[in-house]
Amino acid sequence: MIRVAVVDDEPLARSGVLARLRAEDDVTVVTECVDGHGMAALRKDRIDLAILDVQMPGMDGLEGLAAIPRDERPLAVLLTAHDSFAVRAFELEAVDYLLKPLDDERFAEAIERVRRKLGRDRRAPAVDRFGIRVGSRLSFVDVADVTWIEADGDYAALHANGQRHLLRESLHELSRKLDASRFLRVHRSAIVRVDQVVELSPRPNRDAVLRLRDGTTLRASRTYIDALLAALHRGS
Amino acid sequence: MNIDRNLAPPPLLTLLAGLPILGCMVVMGLPAALVDSPFLSFRVFYTLAYLFWIIPLGAIHRWLWRRGANGWVTAAVLLPASYAMSVINAVIALEWLASPESRARADWTFVFGGLDGCWLALIAFSGLQGLVLHRAALRAEGERLRAAAAAARDAELRALRYQLQPHFLFNTLNAISALVNDERPRDATRMIARLGDFLRATLEDAPGHEHTVADEIALTAAYLDIEKARLGERLRVETYTAPGTLDARVPYLLLQPLVENAIRHGIAPRTVPGTVAIRFEHAGSELKVSVTNDVVEVTEGAGGVGLANIRARLEALYPDRHQLVTGIEDGRWTVRITMPWAPVETSIEAIA
Repeated sequence: MIRVAVVDDEPLARSGVLARLRAEDDVTVVTECVDGHGMAALRKDRIDLAILDVQMPGMDGLEGLAAIPRDERPLAVLLTAHDSFAVRAFELEAVDYLLKPLDDERFAEAIERVRRKLGRDRRAPAVDRFGIRVGSRLSFVDVADVTWIEADGDYAALHANGQRHLLRESLHELSRKLDASRFLRVHRSAIVRVDQVVELSPRPNRDAVLRLRDGTTLRASRTYIDALLAALHRGS
Repeated sequence: MNIDRNLAPPPLLTLLAGLPILGCMVVMGLPAALVDSPFLSFRVFYTLAYLFWIIPLGAIHRWLWRRGANGWVTAAVLLPASYAMSVINAVIALEWLASPESRARADWTFVFGGLDGCWLALIAFSGLQGLVLHRAALRAEGERLRAAAAAARDAELRALRYQLQPHFLFNTLNAISALVNDERPRDATRMIARLGDFLRATLEDAPGHEHTVADEIALTAAYLDIEKARLGERLRVETYTAPGTLDARVPYLLLQPLVENAIRHGIAPRTVPGTVAIRFEHAGSELKVSVTNDVVEVTEGAGGVGLANIRARLEALYPDRHQLVTGIEDGRWTVRITMPWAPVETSIEAIA
């Protein structure tokens, strides 16, 4: 079980986090704190992960985190309304930071990152084709033909050979089934095949816009950029 | 025109207006210098006297100018003043420069009539300085008018930009409230998260009236996420950019009203999925933008507030250098915009 502390001064915000954690069967909430002082008392022998709000009255989340000696610090996922804390979050080696209002998928993904950090990865072996059901007919799409995948409500749309195939699966689940060296999540709503990216245009807020071989243009958000750049450089 | 007389040029600059006349006086003195005439000392004296008198004369002129005196008043003050200066010159010349015999020959007519040496020069100087002052005031006024026009344009563009947001915001809140009533918490939280992203993108960015195609696409995508949360798989979006177009300049929030129209009039009324296609292409000195969408039935669509808003902003940003046409093409509602191609210089190192 992953032992979690939820740190937020607002009861409603805490209950929002707790509700989302209930969907994860390998997570147990050990404690709740209301400020940075409570945060500063946490140690990693008792807590694996702290999910903490950055802005709180009194001692804020980052101060609380910084007050814990580095080798006793639990993993941290930061919650914030503004994304101006990224650099500080990076310094404190936060696993992830999530923007409020929280997004369910993005939240689940942060927990996934935590699992990987703790060595409790539940990644399924990579698949090499997908079964697509259209009515009663079942057809197959080779993973090798897929250029990119977009989220489409509760479905994922695979783009392959100029066509669009709907798969009833979330991008989050899908990304666990794909070869991580070839397919990368670039945004909450998109996965791209790394060799399809021909242009990357950074934006002032550290997001980026990608152009694929066929001219398709999509967003990449800053939380995925580093992994994407690393993969692009590896490929070249 | 109401001229602001406080914006007079610095005194040194107005004194420089006296230089051409100094040049004339030197030329007039040259023949006397070449033949070593006895008049040479007079010429030199008059020139020096001129250089001396233009300082107080210029100061009086500028003082009158700042006080708002009109041309007649200025002339009525400056003419006697410069005449008095000339008379003083003549008295000094007679007392110290003239030879005893010419002094004996001279009478009051020399003092009050022989003034060609300096009076005309001083009058000409006043005239020139008046021109300089007037021209400086005109230029300042021109700049003020240009700044006022730019501020008006800025205010207009800003107002047009803010016109876009509120109704979209209320529509989204309404949709969220419907989802809550409908007991669809997952969809409701998804839409709230997207609305948060969109607000972050539009509130935290504080750009000018233009930004890059890449920025515009990212902003539109944040908006489209909300529409996708609302319409689910019924809405499909294709975004195409030609090589190099990501760095081109476009008006801020150019796409959002177009895409909103496309969805409201084209996709939302349909029962089967429909596609909104966005394209950016480069042709010569122009950037070509198109937004097309499937329609329920092929009829000429209405423009609405969004289209009028875009027309007004294009006109303010690129007067006479843009084009916006709408119509049905190949069974799809199409908006085509042509505007000047203006790439933003970006450094190659940006991502290294």
